[in-house]
Amino acid sequence: MGHAVGAVNGAKLSMAQLGKSFKLPSGEMAAAVQDFSLDVREGEFMVLVGPSGCGKTTVLNMLAGLETPTTGTLTLDSRAITGPGAERGVMFQDYALFPWRTVRENVEFGLRFGPAGKGLSSEARAQRVDKYLELVRLTQAQVKYPHQLSGGMRQRVALARLMANEPEILLMDEPLAALDAQTRLVLQDELLRIWGQDRPASDRRTVVFITHAIDEAVFLADRVAVMTSHPGRLKTVIDVPLARPRNDGTRALPEFQALCQEIWNLIRAEAVRATMT
Amino acid sequence: MSRLATHPLVRAAILPILLIAIWQVAGMLVGPELKRMPTPSKVLTAAIDLIGSGDLPAAIGQSLTRVFGGFVVAALVAVPLGLVMGSSRTVERNLDPLIESFRPVAAIAVLPLAILWMGTGTAAAIFIVSYAAFFPLVINTIAGVKRVDRNLLQAAATMGLAKVTTLRTVVFPGALPSIGVGMRIALGVAWTAIIAAELAVGAKSGGGGSGGVGQMMFVFYAYSVELNRIVVCMIAVGVVAYLLDRGLRAVLSWGMPWAR
Repeated sequence: MGHAVGAVNGAKLSMAQLGKSFKLPSGEMAAAVQDFSLDVREGEFMVLVGPSGCGKTTVLNMLAGLETPTTGTLTLDSRAITGPGAERGVMFQDYALFPWRTVRENVEFGLRFGPAGKGLSSEARAQRVDKYLELVRLTQAQVKYPHQLSGGMRQRVALARLMANEPEILLMDEPLAALDAQTRLVLQDELLRIWGQDRPASDRRTVVFITHAIDEAVFLADRVAVMTSHPGRLKTVIDVPLARPRNDGTRALPEFQALCQEIWNLIRAEAVRATMT
Repeated sequence: MSRLATHPLVRAAILPILLIAIWQVAGMLVGPELKRMPTPSKVLTAAIDLIGSGDLPAAIGQSLTRVFGGFVVAALVAVPLGLVMGSSRTVERNLDPLIESFRPVAAIAVLPLAILWMGTGTAAAIFIVSYAAFFPLVINTIAGVKRVDRNLLQAAATMGLAKVTTLRTVVFPGALPSIGVGMRIALGVAWTAIIAAELAVGAKSGGGGSGGVGQMMFVFYAYSVELNRIVVCMIAVGVVAYLLDRGLRAVLSWGMPWAR
């Protein structure tokens, strides 16, 4: 079973038999992720969904190079991933905005101090920052500090900062989890717009997105990778053939509902067990 | 009237005024027997004298110059060192025992060496001040570095920042609130140290204000025996310390608009 589930030809990102174990305080080893194999195509919006504790953040951190796998291999364009790199941008759950920098300076950060801005004149850099501030509709708020913003605005700053670096791969760790339900729906639409769902598939960036919300996963994804916990494993990968661009109407489609139900059926037993014990 | 009496400022002033009054009365009662007993009225006269002659302002200016000099030297060494020590376990393990064993050696205990090597002038004074200010600065910088949000460091890493760039653009500003606390403590002990050092150096340097407030106090104590003037100096030391802290806090608040 295992490794065949998520394998595709010509993968952009490839995870093969990935495993990650941690040493517990008692000295025992605990597996957070086991035998995890998944390929992500170029330009694909891949969503990992699963109950809390299923190791989805660990998988993302390994892709980001922030954690090293205990077993298995991890490649980007067939080259091994050995650490963090600017070609893989990360959006963190708590946004990780620099509190001492304004909205604009946060968006500019990677271009100014990292390799993403190499060869960019200061005018070109400013134009790039302007472009993404406008894309997330924060031009008005660019001189504010993060603590002066609402949760939804912070999330958009983090998104603009990620996009401004124009990484090949966008890694997003539950970026909408901390927001209220309405803001979440609005930002799901925004996220797809900014990602470029109106553009042809060849013109989109590769995304790996983590969430525990099934409807969010179905709404955003080209494919949904369903995980189960203890230890974290890939259960199955589900295609989401809903047409793009997607919008509010998409959420009302019977196909949308059916896909949500299908995924819920896959993890319900475990979710119930985790909740009731 | 009753509203005025319950105003916080009025209430805060009652006890000090009462104490000053008691002091004045007590001084007048024992006055004839104890000629040197300072009283508020005599202290006030002495203060007007010392300020009017320009001696006290000059002395304070001299002491402050030394404190600022020593403080800057200490900050230039302690902050970068603290940033590196806080970021690198290896560096910290090697340097921490050395720093911790020097820390209990008070600045004033280092004074004899400083005088023998550098004389009784400004060089020795700056050395003493920077020695005293070094420890709170380095310790608070290390603590600040360790409290920098790990997510921010990860964010910098995923944007491909070089280590040195991360130190400058993430670790330093992240540790800045804690470094600010270190600066406040350091400036306080620096001011304490300079007064003690000037007092201990005594009357060896020139007269008037040229030896700083501490030396001025030494002269009033050992030569002219003027207790009222010593009290003026004590009050001046306290007021300057308070103003230094207020000033530094204003600078820190201005420099960290995000932390306001």
